[in-house]
Amino acid sequence: MAENAKPLPVPDPDSQPFWDACAEHRLVAQRCGDCGAWRFPPGGFCPACSSRNAAWEPLAGTGTVQSFVVPHRAYSVAFEADLPYVIAHVELDGTAGKVVIVGNIVGCPWTDVRVGLPVRVDFDDRAPGVAVPRFRPQA
Amino acid sequence: MPEQAIKNKTAIAGIGWTAFSKASGTTVANLAAEASLNAIHDAGLTPRDIDGIVTYYYGTDSFDVRELAPILGIDRCNFDLFCGLGGGWACGAVAAAAMAVFAGVCRNVLVYRAMNGRSERRPRNPDAHAARGVKQWTIPSGVNHAADVFGVPVVAHMARYGTTTVDFAHLAVMQRRHAGLNKKAMMRAPITVEEHQASPWITYPFRLLDCCLQTDGAAAIVVTSAERARDLRHKPVYISSVMGGSVAGEHPWEVNAHKAAAPLYAGAGITPGDVDLAELYDPFTGMCLLHMEGFGLAPRGEVGAWVRAGGNALDGETPVNTHGGLLSEGYIQGLNHVVEAVQQLRPGGVLDDFCEGAHDYDRAHCRQVKDPHVALVCGECGDTSLILTSD
Repeated sequence: MAENAKPLPVPDPDSQPFWDACAEHRLVAQRCGDCGAWRFPPGGFCPACSSRNAAWEPLAGTGTVQSFVVPHRAYSVAFEADLPYVIAHVELDGTAGKVVIVGNIVGCPWTDVRVGLPVRVDFDDRAPGVAVPRFRPQA
Repeated sequence: MPEQAIKNKTAIAGIGWTAFSKASGTTVANLAAEASLNAIHDAGLTPRDIDGIVTYYYGTDSFDVRELAPILGIDRCNFDLFCGLGGGWACGAVAAAAMAVFAGVCRNVLVYRAMNGRSERRPRNPDAHAARGVKQWTIPSGVNHAADVFGVPVVAHMARYGTTTVDFAHLAVMQRRHAGLNKKAMMRAPITVEEHQASPWITYPFRLLDCCLQTDGAAAIVVTSAERARDLRHKPVYISSVMGGSVAGEHPWEVNAHKAAAPLYAGAGITPGDVDLAELYDPFTGMCLLHMEGFGLAPRGEVGAWVRAGGNALDGETPVNTHGGLLSEGYIQGLNHVVEAVQQLRPGGVLDDFCEGAHDYDRAHCRQVKDPHVALVCGECGDTSLILTSD
């Protein structure tokens, strides 16, 4: 990988279905196969009932900004061209507030981003078969 | 919730530190040894009295705890611990030492934190292969810096309660004022709210003057039993309650401190109103505000106004970071906060302000708080915390 290329996620057996879906521009989340509790990050055990059963469910791809930060100095050359860029924690719709993922927000000035902003997923294709979720303000 | 069985059974008998600088010109091992010997001698002990060693680190910024014993000539060690949890564990290190002493495993435990945090800074480009495990969820989005992590609960707090960056400015200004009364502080020149607001963004919500320093230096303490401490050089500073674990906050604008406060205070049999001073982890101004609020020094949601009104001043409702903290004294990852609390609680008070002779509480030169007996100390997020007391 070129030194200035953005980093790629390294999937593991628990997260592989999430990243596979991202590659197809679909957002999915893991849910307990027994009690139905949402599980993020994906893992081998349900935090609510300790069950090892799990299912993956498609999500609408919309959500709300729960909080955010905006780096103005790059600590990685891969993000230097994007400065200042928004890193948001997005509560995904349909997950009872339990699935909150980190993603960049694009498509608006950083000063327009606020807690509570409704956003929609928009995948960043980083490499063949690798896409990273990011978000845009909902129109 | 019950008082802890360990309450007042152990004490901090010695404290030590090195110069805090941008370039120590020496090794981390030498810094650790210098601060440790200062603490051991301060207690009136010798290295061969030490039979336990605890330290903590983050990433690759320290050397293995087992390298220190031969350097100091310590010839037996009943318990050692090298914890990688960083600044969250500043008080956990003290808690571990106290528990080892309380359990009778050790007699005298040395706790140190040493680093060339400025001159041996890690390269800024993270490992391209680091986006694995829990970091697969953050590094691909450019989360590379502590501010990218700890700004998150702070921005949520701003949205929830209307906390502003002007509140941050008042905290930074106050801690700089405290550092101006501290001979070992790296940053002593006064700053203003306007200078804070004009300083450049590092990572929103934090400007340059919201961020802690990078420091070469070390701090150390010696923990022993309360009984032995009473026969040593200084009056004991008792360890009255300890907390040493962490979970996520209940809300996005809360951190572990909000959960740890109740059992911590109950462990010592006190309430937040009993706290005479607090040394709270302050990597960024906004995080220190969350710690103040989490531990109940200010009403929930009102910490911004509390700081603007000077609640954290040396003569305020509860003085906070009386040494200047990580923001202005130096970044010894919170063990310098423990050292400051011990100095404040000892009968003679702090040694390194600008008083000549007895403390007179003139804030032109004196940083001693008036007659404190109860101190609160915490690490990052309130992950670990202590109540220290004196007679």
